[in-house]
Amino acid sequence: MAAQHKRRAEGRSDSSILAKITSSPIVSRGKQAASDAAFVSKKLLRSTGKAAWIAGTTFLILVVPLIIEMDREQQFNELELQQASLLGAPPTGPAHK
Amino acid sequence: MAGIVPPGTTAVPADVSHTAHTKHDEKTDYMNLPCPIPYEELHREALMSLKPETFEGLRFDFTKGLNQKFSLSHSVSMGPTEIPSQSAETIKIPTSHYEFGANFIDPNLMLIGRVLTDGRLNARVKWDLTDNLTVKANAQLTNEPHMSHGMFNFDYKGKDFRSQFQLGNGALFGANYIQSVTPNLSLGGEVFWAGQHRKSGIGYAARYETDKMVATGQVANTGIVALSYVQKVSDKVSLATDFMYNYLSRDVTASVGYDYILRQCRLRGKIDSNGCTTSYLEERLNMGLNFILSAEIDHRKKDYKFGFGLTVG
Repeated sequence: MAAQHKRRAEGRSDSSILAKITSSPIVSRGKQAASDAAFVSKKLLRSTGKAAWIAGTTFLILVVPLIIEMDREQQFNELELQQASLLGAPPTGPAHK
Repeated sequence: MAGIVPPGTTAVPADVSHTAHTKHDEKTDYMNLPCPIPYEELHREALMSLKPETFEGLRFDFTKGLNQKFSLSHSVSMGPTEIPSQSAETIKIPTSHYEFGANFIDPNLMLIGRVLTDGRLNARVKWDLTDNLTVKANAQLTNEPHMSHGMFNFDYKGKDFRSQFQLGNGALFGANYIQSVTPNLSLGGEVFWAGQHRKSGIGYAARYETDKMVATGQVANTGIVALSYVQKVSDKVSLATDFMYNYLSRDVTASVGYDYILRQCRLRGKIDSNGCTTSYLEERLNMGLNFILSAEIDHRKKDYKFGFGLTVG
């Protein structure tokens, strides 16, 4: 009986130590901070996702056609330069003949 | 510009006299100012860059010239059209129509008419009576009652000023005047009176242009202040910005855009402070054959409009 008492007392003191730890202000503050951090990071992820979507579609509409067209213009210029140099050569041919 | 003071006859070295002569040339001759551009085209460069005609759906235009002066045009357009609604939702209804048009263009006389399959008729007349006097008329007739309107404009062009008088249906009277003040700056004003809505207004405008840039400003007593600035960065590229503020309804809109005129295409893009970006591409596939792509994304209202088309002739 004494052993049971002792165990119960020890158990009560064990549970009370655990309860003391879990109900202490530091632990509760830590839990609150963790849930706040999770909430904020979720919101941050969502708003970053939204911002990335808006930036991505705006970039697609404004900048991608520009890059494509400038590239084509450059290709066209190079082709013209090539053709000009090609056409520049023949007049000397018949002159030689 | 006529030289004001003839170069001095004293013995000066040739290069100094040349610089003296050019300095005198740069002194403005206030009697020989250039004619300003018409009042309604004040914002022309900014509008061309920042407000292309975006559309949604398919657009096909075919213009055939029968004569040197006369041409016919056929146009098919299919796509959703927005219906103005009270709620925040945009309601779009698919519509399609065919438009037939005839144009007669002469150095002195220009006649343009368009008929649509939904019963609308547009007509425009521009007649140069003399070198300085021009009469313009504009009419839009529809099937719905009280939605038709017409307007007459009488323009007088002086040596360095332009004036215009407007008459419209619904007792609309307007007049505007613009004057060149220096070779780069022109100032103007307008008044109008709308009898049907019992509204009248007065506005002032200024335009400063050089070879590389154009800056315009406009103020009206309807509460609108509109400023715009266009910079020509090179002969292919120009950038434009626009700022519009309504001091009565506290509405502000600013937009920035670019205009690339390349040999094979013309690309215009703009982004707005209302979260709206548009882009308009006209690509030349062949002689007389143009391919058009138009995109408009409104992030705030989540409204996306994309269109494509072909223009022949």
